[in-house]
Amino acid sequence: MIAATHVAGLDDIAMPPITHGTIAMLNLRAQIDSLEPDVRRGHASIESRVGLIELITLRGLILGRIADYQRAEEMSEQLVRDAPADGTAFVARARSRAVFHRFTDALDDIDRAERLSLDAGITNHERASIYQALGRYDEALAMREEAADRRASFENLAALVGLYAERGEIDATERMDAESRRRYRGVSPFPLALLDFQLGLMWMNKGRLDDARASFDVARRRVPAYAPAQGHLAEVEAAQGEIGSAVACLHVLAVSSDDPDYAAQLARILGDVGRAHESRHWCRLAATRYDELVACHPEAFADHAAEFWLAAGANPEKALRLARMNVEVRKTPRAYGLLAQAVAALEEKV
Amino acid sequence: MSDHISGPRAVADPVTDITDVFAFPSPESPRHLVLIMNVFPYAGPSACFSDAVIYRLRVRSVSIAPNTRAFAVGAGEFTFDLTFDVPAGSESGGQPVQQGRCTMTNGKTVPFRVNDENGAGAEGLHVFAGQRSDPFFLDGPMAAQTLATRQLAFKQVGSDRLYGKNVLAIVLTIEWATVLEGGPLFAVVCETLTSGKRPIRLERVGRPEIKNISLGAKIFDPVNRDLEIRDLYNNEDAFNLSEHYVGAYRARLNANLAFYDGLNGKTDWPLDEHGDHPLTGLLLADYLVVDASKPFSETSYLEIEQAMLEGREHSTCGGRWLNEDVVDFILTLYVNAGNGPRIRDGVDGPITWSSKVCPYMAPPNRQGIARS
Repeated sequence: MIAATHVAGLDDIAMPPITHGTIAMLNLRAQIDSLEPDVRRGHASIESRVGLIELITLRGLILGRIADYQRAEEMSEQLVRDAPADGTAFVARARSRAVFHRFTDALDDIDRAERLSLDAGITNHERASIYQALGRYDEALAMREEAADRRASFENLAALVGLYAERGEIDATERMDAESRRRYRGVSPFPLALLDFQLGLMWMNKGRLDDARASFDVARRRVPAYAPAQGHLAEVEAAQGEIGSAVACLHVLAVSSDDPDYAAQLARILGDVGRAHESRHWCRLAATRYDELVACHPEAFADHAAEFWLAAGANPEKALRLARMNVEVRKTPRAYGLLAQAVAALEEKV
Repeated sequence: MSDHISGPRAVADPVTDITDVFAFPSPESPRHLVLIMNVFPYAGPSACFSDAVIYRLRVRSVSIAPNTRAFAVGAGEFTFDLTFDVPAGSESGGQPVQQGRCTMTNGKTVPFRVNDENGAGAEGLHVFAGQRSDPFFLDGPMAAQTLATRQLAFKQVGSDRLYGKNVLAIVLTIEWATVLEGGPLFAVVCETLTSGKRPIRLERVGRPEIKNISLGAKIFDPVNRDLEIRDLYNNEDAFNLSEHYVGAYRARLNANLAFYDGLNGKTDWPLDEHGDHPLTGLLLADYLVVDASKPFSETSYLEIEQAMLEGREHSTCGGRWLNEDVVDFILTLYVNAGNGPRIRDGVDGPITWSSKVCPYMAPPNRQGIARS
């Protein structure tokens, strides 16, 4: 008999068990498979269509599948055309646009939703996410705190965790993280895995690799198919000298995912350890894919592509052009850091 | 919809969302009582039961309290807790196989395999669990339209968004006289709970359309017009409502039932001296009542309760059979108390009728069947 999921390392938080990640993924697929035919035939309600867009976006987030984001974006565009007087349609499109870093368009959609009398709690939640992505942290924080004051639900507190983590405020993040988990009342592993992942990113940015590793590992154990958690875990493993397991993991992801980040990481790590021939193969693949994606969604992939051209791609001119484009879109500390790296790399080359 | 998508928590995770509960004497054998609990609305082919949830069916002996026109529910309870493993392996490369078990109050356990058409049996209990066609039918959009326009909006031919959809079903066939305590009148309620040392109730369902049609609308509620009351209601023990919130449920039911009563322009349900609708107290006792000693009946939903209110002996098994059009029944009851024409929602059946042979519910539908 297999017991319900108990993720070692976080059991001390005394939370009820959550659904095993394998079941959760099967059930996510089951929901999508059941709703999609209705939407294709035009039989689905607005509510069902918004729900399907959210489910497909979630699958994209977990599996690191850009095709899912693109599908969600297409569906949300169609939804707005079909239901131009429905605020929830504009919120769905705003989310899809924000995924592709079209933040100005996304904010316009939020404004439209508000004018269509959608509840301010919903629109401000979305607006805060976009402000956060744009680096407008103070405005995002004010909205997040107001929402948490009004209702200290798991969702509202988890949103604060993400913001504090991105700002690198360790104490506030840890305090809010514990509080949000305490309020979790569901059995789905996805919200908790996403929270673990945000913590992992914070630790990584702080250079605390052991903590980052622990967080990514917990996220991966909650949802074994969680590709970004696997990818970042491999990145940390490589940084800690565990090249074999990192390469094995990234190889699987680079083959299965349409996101070039995994091929790019693999190329970098293989290059660092002198496996130049293999590195070139993955580098070529990543370069082609980044070029495709930057051509279609320049705002969304400028940052990751710039990182690639700074590392395994070895093309600082291209990196600088993309880093500049990225700063135009979002003025976050990370974007400015990337620009500074690109400038330095080019000066070094010259 | 019956109890589909009945609150924010159910929306967040359909694997915990109970869609329907049925209870009826077996059409095949009068010695057996059948209890059915359906979960996971819009279940696609890969849907599985959660390994972190207890799917619980609770049964208590019940009697009609003298001179009160209310049920007296016994303190003793018999429970059937179904738990499931993580699916493993696969049948010829297809869907992975999920194993489960049903543990009874007496400690006896019946193991079974999900989607095994034959189910498994022991100790006076037969268990089937797996994907089946959703037996519920309703024109949901017109039910919503009725609330929005404050007029009966149903059409001659309605549209059923559940047409061709599937659910995960749990079907228990119980040799009631040997397994259960007391009877033959039983109260039945189903729950999903978190597993672990201290289970937390996630959902509970007794009767159909309590949370959605009866409790869902906020706009008529004079007390809590902005409160999503359904998750609060889901938290409650059906046999022991919290005194702290019962007033909120009562106010909501009184307001919504009065709204439905007014839809035909006349009052069939005058409120009592406390301002309570005559059905409110009955509906707050939110469990199916079934008489296992009576013969199987196809249209006996709420007959025991109505007989009790009218002060007469019930004549049927009550409970709820899979194919009964409960929505038409409920609408007619709420709108004209049976004093007028039958109120129809224009949807008179599911894609496939349930059969009178175990596991009763029709096999799952192929994905993408066009709606009527």
